[in-house]
Amino acid sequence: MKLLTANFVQCSVKACSATPKCFPLHFDQQTADVPLELAHEDVDFSPEFIYNILPRIDWPALLITARELGNNMLPETTPEIENPNAPENEQILRDLHTLLLETQIIQGSMRCENCNHIYFIRDSIPNFLLPGHLVQ
Amino acid sequence: MFPTPSTSHVDYDQVYEPSEDSFLFLDLLQEERSFIQERFSDSSKLGIPTVLELGLGSGIITTFFHNYILPQALFLGTDVNPHACKTALETSRANNGTRYFDVLRTNIWDGLRPNTVDVLLFNPPYVPADNLGSYESSIKSDDWLDFALLGGEDGMQVTKIVLDQLDFVMRDRGVAYILFCFRNKPEEVAKAMTDRGWSVKKIGERKIRWEILSIWRFSR
Ligand SMILES: C[S@@+](CC[C@H](N)C(=O)[O-])C[C@H]1O[C@@H](n2cnc3c(N)ncnc32)[C@H](O)[C@@H]1O
Ligand SMILES: [Zn+2]
Repeated sequence: MKLLTANFVQCSVKACSATPKCFPLHFDQQTADVPLELAHEDVDFSPEFIYNILPRIDWPALLITARELGNNMLPETTPEIENPNAPENEQILRDLHTLLLETQIIQGSMRCENCNHIYFIRDSIPNFLLPGHLVQ
Repeated sequence: MFPTPSTSHVDYDQVYEPSEDSFLFLDLLQEERSFIQERFSDSSKLGIPTVLELGLGSGIITTFFHNYILPQALFLGTDVNPHACKTALETSRANNGTRYFDVLRTNIWDGLRPNTVDVLLFNPPYVPADNLGSYESSIKSDDWLDFALLGGEDGMQVTKIVLDQLDFVMRDRGVAYILFCFRNKPEEVAKAMTDRGWSVKKIGERKIRWEILSIWRFSR
């Protein structure tokens, strides 16, 4: 699972989805049987692609996710970029590309702050199935 | 005609084999190509579109979509079948991949944030059946193929939930493509969704033996 995907998911317990605490899920507590494992996976760099992702990001949640995964380099607010192809913007867009698209969470767990349910990630695939809860 | 993505690596004992329904989906998406490209041509203000496929199976539809219909998008997909989840990632990679494709193992779209999806693709389990298999028994047997086709009452058990939650999941410019068989009573569905404010269009249908499959487009 790419780091950016943490920005698109929340606790799948119905009672949690109405509370603000269901998002973002937290990487701050990991378990011994599924230790956190991150990997770098090369993705073609496109300045426009990253630039067009920016309006889709919940920045405060991204800051939390990045910090919990050991990255303290992000600016406090969404970077304001006018022209993605201007040379002065290349470094920030490359850094975001590396963090958001190339950082793979191979395994580990995500915790809901509201109900403490733990969602495991294995083989890069997070599992949001809740026991006994296939089709209501 | 765009070529069909290669799925030669897929184990059809574990994952739904692309069939007439999957191929109808590919053919009709091709006809929708300019509609989709036009609708999502401007990413600057609203951001890059997110494409979500429910029930990925082999991943053939998502792979086709990122290769030929809308390459510049964020792709997400789900399946209850753990083998399908893995296989869909492999299918995308085996056909040149895309910049962003992540798979969630989940029931429908549980765990996904509301107001996230621009394009929804769903070839559901649509065959009417007395009851659906249970998740617990599939975990024991590791056999998930019944979930691929059996859709409970009227074949609508899963699709009905999707339609009922569509409003929460789709973004303002969102458009959903969903396949139905005749016994799902798609005309009635279309009427109910129109009453709820969606604009609904049948984009095509095909007669396959005793079955009529159709794909419908729901947009705001
Ligand atoms: C008809 S198959 C379509 C597979 C593939 N998209 C295709 O077109 O070839 C339906 C898929 O939906 C999955 N599925 C069934 N019920 C589901 C549910 N409640 N949530 C998520 N996926 C589900 C099945 O495992 C299967 O892979
Ligand atoms: Zn929760």
